Amino acid sequence: MPPELVVTGMGVISAIGQGKAAFAAALLDGKAAFDVMRRPGRQRESAYIGAEIREMAFAPGVARQTLRAASLSSQAALVVLQEAWIEARLFDVDPRRVGLIVGGSNVQQRELTQIHESYRDRSAFLRPTYALSFMDSDLCGFCTAQFGIRGLAYTVGGASASGQLAIIQAAQAALADQVDVCVALGALMDLSYWECHSLRAIGAMGSDRYAGEPALACRPFDRDHDGFIFGESCGAVVIESLESSERRGVKPYAILRGWGVSMDGNRSPEPSLEGETRAIQSALGAALAPPAQIDYVNPHGTGSIVGDETELKALRACGLADAYLNATKSLIGHGLSAAGTVEVIATLLQAQAGQLHPTRNLENPIDPTLNWVRSKSIDHPIENALTLSMGFGGINTALCWQRCHLYE
Amino acid sequence: MTNVITKMELLDLIARHAREVLPGLDGRQIVSSDRLVDLGANSVDRAEIAMLVQESLGLSVSRVELFGPKNIGELADLFLEKLNAA
Repeated sequence: MPPELVVTGMGVISAIGQGKAAFAAALLDGKAAFDVMRRPGRQRESAYIGAEIREMAFAPGVARQTLRAASLSSQAALVVLQEAWIEARLFDVDPRRVGLIVGGSNVQQRELTQIHESYRDRSAFLRPTYALSFMDSDLCGFCTAQFGIRGLAYTVGGASASGQLAIIQAAQAALADQVDVCVALGALMDLSYWECHSLRAIGAMGSDRYAGEPALACRPFDRDHDGFIFGESCGAVVIESLESSERRGVKPYAILRGWGVSMDGNRSPEPSLEGETRAIQSALGAALAPPAQIDYVNPHGTGSIVGDETELKALRACGLADAYLNATKSLIGHGLSAAGTVEVIATLLQAQAGQLHPTRNLENPIDPTLNWVRSKSIDHPIENALTLSMGFGGINTALCWQRCHLYE
Repeated sequence: MTNVITKMELLDLIARHAREVLPGLDGRQIVSSDRLVDLGANSVDRAEIAMLVQESLGLSVSRVELFGPKNIGELADLFLEKLNAA
């Protein structure tokens, strides 16, 4: 029998809150923070709506020198890792047996754009540190230096499935005994106006039909959806074997029962019912979980017309029509590289609370017969949950979670 | 044309950028005999400080020449020499 893998620590930041307590409270309250984005480099003759993180609180011990040289993505990584690290008591683990998987590629686009524009006509004065920061793996260097990680660290990319892929890769590193503990980080995707322009032009990002009413723009699974709305977020999830967690007496949140990854063999952003179905079935198969056992699904649910529709068909095709459903992106927006990790955190926090968060703007569900959590949160003790992500390039991922009763 | 910047002003400029890159230097006096490495600057920090000074001066100095100076005073001398030659 392979060892049972558990989650022993989590850290999160989003536009609706930093830290698990604030984040969970905001989710269950159905809070959102959508507005015309204001971060420098996000707009150019545009008024893209999104959910931006307004403040970040750092631990008192963090040196100003560290923060000065850190990108927004690095700063977010620092705060979520710090939270997860303390909770999972990773200071007590041999640093050579700790790993870090960073989910996401090309995540620091806005800051790179700012640098390119600033130095376009005076390239002789380009900051030397650009040589470090233009690579996403700078996040690995930055985080391993901050936390003394000596085991392994690298990035994995799977577009909007990157956050789940990082969890899967972390699980595989723990299963293969490469490390005892592996932290998966869903990196903050820092879009510039260039990515916003193209994501809207390709039809993925929502249109300007709600330009005057930003709070209404993000509406996954609602009949009036027309694309995703961006939201900054970042999350860290600590994965290890149950045995490893017991050595430190750390209480697990949940058991990672199984996962599935599938490719559609399709470069375009079009979703595939067959691909999604295969990822879900392979996760359920690996978890030895019959569909009827799954009582909650945290879907990818971006607000894309064809994406939302295809995902619900896949859930039906997999026998999951009876599970409760909501859409975390309706509250925090689409974090792209971070989404898969942050939504796992949302799922496990809902399980801990015994409640499911509302789905904002779900006025007319495209499939009203499903078991939606609509405008108010509801009480529900999650036993077995499925979390889903899909990304450009035809990647689908599914994770199957089981509540951990051991320490209750 | 004569450059109006003095060596003292150059030293201040270098110290200002050193403090920008190394915020931990706040309150510590920086003098011309100080070596950036002794102030806690690693190789990347040193390159960053030298570039910030060049940017402020609008003066580009080759990497090779920047290897010469042994302390902040000598670095200021190098920049003064380049400014006067410009």
